[in-house]
Amino acid sequence: MLRDITLGQYYQADSIIHRLDPRVKLIGTFAYIIALFVSKNVWGYLIATIFLVGVIKLSKVPVKFMLKGMKAIAFLIVITVAFNLFLTPGEAWISIWKLTITKEGAKTAGTMALRLAYLIVGSSVMTLTTTPNQLTDALESVLGPLKKLKVPVHEIAMMMSIALRFIPILMDETDKIMKAQIARGASFDSGSIIQRAKSLIPLLVPLFISAFRRANDLAMAMEARCYQGGEKRTKMKPLKYVRTDYIGYIILVIFFAGMIATRYIH
Amino acid sequence: MSLIFNHVSFMYDADTNLPSAALQDINLTIEDGGFYGLIGHTGSGKSTLVQHMNGLLKPTHGQVLFDGQDISEKGYDLKSLRSKVGLVFQYPEHQLFEATVFDDVCFGPKNMGLTKSEYELRAFSALEAVGLPHDYFYSSPFDLSGGQKRRVAIAGVLAMKPSILVLDEPTAGLDPRGRDEILDQIKKLHDEEHISIVLVSHSMEDVANYVDKILVMNKGKLIYNDVPSEVFRHVEELEAMGLAAPQVTYITKALRESGLDVDTSATTIKEAADAIAAALRR
Repeated sequence: MLRDITLGQYYQADSIIHRLDPRVKLIGTFAYIIALFVSKNVWGYLIATIFLVGVIKLSKVPVKFMLKGMKAIAFLIVITVAFNLFLTPGEAWISIWKLTITKEGAKTAGTMALRLAYLIVGSSVMTLTTTPNQLTDALESVLGPLKKLKVPVHEIAMMMSIALRFIPILMDETDKIMKAQIARGASFDSGSIIQRAKSLIPLLVPLFISAFRRANDLAMAMEARCYQGGEKRTKMKPLKYVRTDYIGYIILVIFFAGMIATRYIH
Repeated sequence: MSLIFNHVSFMYDADTNLPSAALQDINLTIEDGGFYGLIGHTGSGKSTLVQHMNGLLKPTHGQVLFDGQDISEKGYDLKSLRSKVGLVFQYPEHQLFEATVFDDVCFGPKNMGLTKSEYELRAFSALEAVGLPHDYFYSSPFDLSGGQKRRVAIAGVLAMKPSILVLDEPTAGLDPRGRDEILDQIKKLHDEEHISIVLVSHSMEDVANYVDKILVMNKGKLIYNDVPSEVFRHVEELEAMGLAAPQVTYITKALRESGLDVDTSATTIKEAADAIAAALRR
């Protein structure tokens, strides 16, 4: 059941997008998200659609994979749409029982759903084509200037990559402990809410203990290899821009400018 | 209370575009009172197979029958199956969670809906059966040594009084003494309480010393299902699967090749010693 979660997963393939410098992808994703909220009309979404479809095509990741990530947040989208649909004041359009849908509500609900969907698909393109390690490297490099302000950028990036690394491990662990307790007659999906919450104790206690044990082991292993973060630490694969990366930036700038321009089309 | 696998196949991710077959056409009977050793290389499907024994996984094709009933059938009481087929996972000490050893062992029988006096009695006898000294009964399970924790975890399953006990690598990560103690306890449970045992193991010595029958898995298929001396006759085939025969098999074979007329069917040290002594007397 836990293996269905694809959000934040990496999809192995050989494509231009995969080979792109992770910094381009990180900055690009941010620019893309901002651009989604900058644009106001149909033209903006048209450009965003063209951009998104183009990137997905280039990434060689099956569209099925992208949509699988959507499933996880479908619930969020439904709630957002429902709230906007019924709670936006304005001119009444359709009214069922005590619920009234306004024209403005319908419009905001539509835009919000579209924005959220584009946001999720767009950011999953990044996570699907970039390994967690590349991503944290990019983050460290992009946030590099903050080091001058004594922000522990390297440590933050390190913590992030460890956290990402541990997600699949802890998921496996959860699955194993769950099965072991089910084998002892535990049930996780029946009874009242209180009973269900209580039934999680046999799962959560061992899980926490194992997380602490693993954290301790990892810290020990890092120390044994004389790990020292931050200053003077070099990388085995330093990030280096090549021609395609510059082309990527140029395309991004054009896209972003286009999105801003749509604000002025009436 | 026999457990029968009838043409059982299982695929992981059966509904996706990347299905992987973990079990292929397994036919197998776990007889009452038997002591089985299940061996196979990593990824051979051992763990998948044992999870079918108590219904944690359901076959994609074929049936698993317990006491003549198909466990995949709708409305089948899986909870009662799980109390009759006790499954002890690898590193079972990682699933301990209660404040005291005793409470943790109570968890299984409590879930069966027994009364307090009943489940406490069962927990008590289970802890005695695994040979944990009384002093530890009310201490925190996290203060125990690795071997003791494992006994507690095994007791947690035993307390449900299963008629079949399945243990997935019960000796992994233990020192030789802890290993022998655990295996001797298991043997005792088999002999005295008449519990059928399925022992999953990597160690040919463990398996050869204790079991009546060996099941060999390779790439999701059940290759051999026979008595140890028969299975270990196929040394070359076992090695091709990344397994091995017990060391004594290699010794008797080597002796035979160098001209001593030794019976090579011995699988335990004692049998081998007798065989070599007999050959020397001849």
